Amino acid sequence: MGSIVLVVRLALADMRRHKVQAAMLMLAVTVATATMALGLSLRDVSDALYEQTRAATAGPDVVALSGDTGPAVTSALASLTNEPGVMAHHGPYRIVYADLTTRDSLSSPVVVHGFAETPGAVNRPLVTSGRWVRSGGTVLERGFATALGVGVGDHVTIAGRSYPVVGIAVTAATSVYPGAAQIGPGGGPSDYSGLAWMTRSDARTLASSHDLPVTLAVDLKLRDPAATEPFIDAHSDPTVRITFHSWQFRAERDMAILRVSQPILLVGSWLLGFLAITGVASLASGRAVEQTRRAGLLKAVGATPGLIATVLLTEYLALALAGDALGLALARLTAPAIASPTASRIGDAAGPTGLAIAAATVLAVAVAVLSTLGPTLRALRTATVTALTATAHQPRHRPRLTALSALLPTPLLLGLRLTARRPGRAVLQACSTATTVIAIVALLTLYAQPERGYGLDGSSALPNLRGEHDRQLMLAVTILLIALAVVNTLTFTWTTAMEARANMAIARTLGATPGQISAGLSTAQLLPSLPGAVIGVPLGIGLLSLFAARNAVDPPSSWLLGAVLATLLATAALTALPARLAARRPVAQTLSAETA
Amino acid sequence: MNVSSAVVRVRGLVKDHGQGQSRVRAVDAVDLEVPQGQMLAVMGPSGCGKSTLLHLLGGLERPTDGEAWLAGRRIDTLSERALARLRRRSVGFVFQAFHLVEELSAAENVELPVLLAGRSRREAGCRASLLLERVGLADRARHLPSQLSGGQRQRIAIARALANDPLVVLADEPTGNLDTAATLDVLRIFEALRSAGQTLVIVTHDERVAATADRLISMRDGMFVDDTRLAGSHTRGLGGLIGLEG
Repeated sequence: MGSIVLVVRLALADMRRHKVQAAMLMLAVTVATATMALGLSLRDVSDALYEQTRAATAGPDVVALSGDTGPAVTSALASLTNEPGVMAHHGPYRIVYADLTTRDSLSSPVVVHGFAETPGAVNRPLVTSGRWVRSGGTVLERGFATALGVGVGDHVTIAGRSYPVVGIAVTAATSVYPGAAQIGPGGGPSDYSGLAWMTRSDARTLASSHDLPVTLAVDLKLRDPAATEPFIDAHSDPTVRITFHSWQFRAERDMAILRVSQPILLVGSWLLGFLAITGVASLASGRAVEQTRRAGLLKAVGATPGLIATVLLTEYLALALAGDALGLALARLTAPAIASPTASRIGDAAGPTGLAIAAATVLAVAVAVLSTLGPTLRALRTATVTALTATAHQPRHRPRLTALSALLPTPLLLGLRLTARRPGRAVLQACSTATTVIAIVALLTLYAQPERGYGLDGSSALPNLRGEHDRQLMLAVTILLIALAVVNTLTFTWTTAMEARANMAIARTLGATPGQISAGLSTAQLLPSLPGAVIGVPLGIGLLSLFAARNAVDPPSSWLLGAVLATLLATAALTALPARLAARRPVAQTLSAETA
Repeated sequence: MNVSSAVVRVRGLVKDHGQGQSRVRAVDAVDLEVPQGQMLAVMGPSGCGKSTLLHLLGGLERPTDGEAWLAGRRIDTLSERALARLRRRSVGFVFQAFHLVEELSAAENVELPVLLAGRSRREAGCRASLLLERVGLADRARHLPSQLSGGQRQRIAIARALANDPLVVLADEPTGNLDTAATLDVLRIFEALRSAGQTLVIVTHDERVAATADRLISMRDGMFVDDTRLAGSHTRGLGGLIGLEG
């Protein structure tokens, strides 16, 4: 009992004393776990939203579509409704292919479903605002209406005729916007299209008055909703071309818009986790002397090695787990918006799955353990008496580097020697820079891709939602990565400055100016950043090629070069502030503090 | 001397630092017995092995050779874990540099060994209050070490050393960082401890501190060169003895 109180007390006291470090660890773990939980939950959230929409709209188990019309097709589709496995049905109904234009001159292909004024037992679209179809009016699918910026009471022009929008609705019978046209006219491929409903007679009139392409569909409810595949296999008729879409296929198609989102989030979470580890490890190593002394003190008063390890790790683990909980809550809140970028689905997504929670928690624990393992082991292995008088890490003597650096200007001399004092930290700085550049390259690559908009003939007046969604996600992940990298750079510089303050003070007594000291500290961060930024470019291109489409194009070389230069300039600017602050410390004060 | 009454006993104790040509013998075949209730002062020049001896007696370091017992239990063969438990219950350390946990208050520092011993928070709190009262710092219980003077910090460290009623208090230059007035405060506490029958081993450079002990051992080059009884010294006024009062 006493030990638990002690562990908690020491952990809390240390957190209070190092608030910035505690906040940084928690923030880093929060963003990494939130991103990972989102990435791992996307499919489940998408499925859940589809399921909830399906339940709310009596979604069909199978939709049978024919690209042709005529008595034979109508008969074939109607005969499906009499099959013993079919419990209920809706249709056959007309699907008319037309163009829709809003008052704002936004134009898009649209498929118009001719429905009864009173919805049947299957495929009853849920009206989310306004009312259901009536003669002379149209109801727009919610995802489509949102993209067009159209609401109830507005007018839209379909095939040259104006219709009032009387309602907005959702359905699980079609894919999310812009995938409403499940097959094209004649059964061929379809364009990006929105969905509108009209009364049967209005749809018939629309089709006939403008000689528009028409297809037929029937929605089926099966006795065994899971047995869609056997039903489809049993009713494939070679004489009449019918396309069957099961509800499972529909749910799968909802994921199409998220095809790139998932890798963006998952790879992003790995990179964020990596940056979290490098940042916290740097902070922890900066406090290694203090931690070792603390461990020695605890040993002297009778703490066992196990208890000391518990004390050292508890603080980080507690913070990491708190960050994990925050990250999971954040993922829970943002999952519906990210998993359903269109407004075509309704419902509240369930929280992250067990797998996502477990994986995020493993990531959080890994960040805590990996970033503190070194200082903890050092504290445990150091003999008590040595630990009580622990001093800063003594760097190796490197005569060749010392001789080489002597030929350089003072800032470079100092920078090179500072970098060589802590090669491990230099590697972390290089990796941190490379990680940032990887994200920037991925972002630039996404912006470099040509894509078809959802407007008429691929017009970008209605932008490509998937591309926009991917870019927004990538931008968010990149901003998070840059934020962590910025914190890391500041931490690396400050930790280096603090560890080298005695040496820098001696350099000042030997005639180095504060400006040279400051430039030396900045150079110490820039030297490893340079190879990090350069190697980040091919790594970024290579990583993205694993997930990108085969016809994806690389961003222009000038963009990549600009990214590298901007990263290095930003690093130089970021290191300037802590370096200047550290260099301004009075020499006498520093030297007397070190010898006290 | 009756062996069974010795709280601390070592035989042929050797401690080498470093390896190969850089090896230095800090403690060289030392024999020592400290009976219950004795206040032993160990003096000698810097680097003679005084502090190393103290660390060996308290199990902070392991001897290169020889044997060490604490209250009849051999300690040089114990595991790190067992040594930690032994220190927790039987040894109280006082260091020149105080070594207080900076982020814990004075009371929390004193409670630390009590909690380590597995006792409840309430017991630890009671014990800390009692000991802070004893060292005259009850009104500083909530202060952080950084808010206390050097003398006050050392008194907190002494209170912490006494937290679990140790068999022996081992003090390494306890007045080394203190001014005259603070030194007097600390010596008064040690005097009170000796009167209460507490076994004390104090390593010091300060002859005034050594003069308050029952016994004085002088060390040179890792060996004992003198072992003197100072019987009766404590019967004199402490301040007068050490020249701190008029």
